[in-house]
Amino acid sequence: MRLLSGQGAWLLQRITAVYVGLFVIVTLGYFLIAPPADHAAWVAVVGHPAVALGSSLFVVLLLLHAWIGLRDVVLDYAKPLALRLTVLTLGAGALIFLGLWALYLLIRTGLA
Amino acid sequence: MEFSIYRFNPETDTLPKMQRFTLPDDQVEPGMMLLDALLLLKEQDDSLGFRRSCQHGVCGSDGMNINGMNGLACITPLADLEAPVTLRPFPGMPVIRDLIVDMGNFWEQYRRAEPWLINDSPEPEVERKQSPDDREELDGLYECILCGCCSAACPSYWWNPDKFLGPAALLQAARFIQDSRDEATDHRLAQLDDAWKLYRCHTIMNCTQVCPKGLNPSRAIGDIRRTMLKKSL
Repeated sequence: MRLLSGQGAWLLQRITAVYVGLFVIVTLGYFLIAPPADHAAWVAVVGHPAVALGSSLFVVLLLLHAWIGLRDVVLDYAKPLALRLTVLTLGAGALIFLGLWALYLLIRTGLA
Repeated sequence: MEFSIYRFNPETDTLPKMQRFTLPDDQVEPGMMLLDALLLLKEQDDSLGFRRSCQHGVCGSDGMNINGMNGLACITPLADLEAPVTLRPFPGMPVIRDLIVDMGNFWEQYRRAEPWLINDSPEPEVERKQSPDDREELDGLYECILCGCCSAACPSYWWNPDKFLGPAALLQAARFIQDSRDEATDHRLAQLDDAWKLYRCHTIMNCTQVCPKGLNPSRAIGDIRRTMLKKSL
């Protein structure tokens, strides 16, 4: 089973979807039921090791999910090899940038 | 009854066109199928091209796009169709003439599914036996008549006809993966485990919606995925 092709990609997309979906529901529930009173309370919540770990995992799995989805769309629609490579390279670059940015925010909040 | 039929003759036409036909009401009989009507229209214009053979939904020759939905003309009751009945060739397949398409790629993908029993064990004296339960596993798979309605309705097959096997070929793959007498299950699953042959299916389910035999290629594809998962765990 190759990780990012065929069955591996298909399975990974579903597993990541479950985690991402649950994370979004729990986060929304938290904001609806017991929203943080102020910025300091919000930083304290995000800085908690369990929340930081869960958020980091969310970012990684979301990016993996997005990569597989993007690759699927490109394989379906983008026929010329040059176009396919360009879109995939730009997409991968954008996802890596978003991942690093999210990581930077999480670390900065954790250190605050 | 009015008909609007796709016409294209590569020898004389540069572009296809839709041609109006009228079947007089006195020729429309109760219980008439679309193919019966087409045969009468062909008497009006014998240059109208379409395939047909058994006329009973068994050979799968007369697949076409009927009022936007793929189906077999010979088992489509005329009374169920809204006039003007619009007939086009299968979408996504090269047109040879009028409603006749080139199904070469469809057969190539069918061949890639290796639709034959692979069993290298010594041949028994009489036959390779199968329990009734194992035989039952093939129900819903072996009945396919390879008319092509499903693959020609599948957007994934339209996008990647050269790489994605398509629902018809995958139904056949499932039929042999399920067969208790087949010894090449691992080989068949390994063949399908790439980004293209099986996993271009996005469960759009047009295949299941149009199958004139009431089969469910989408479920068969899901069964292949499940079998693959069980084998890899």
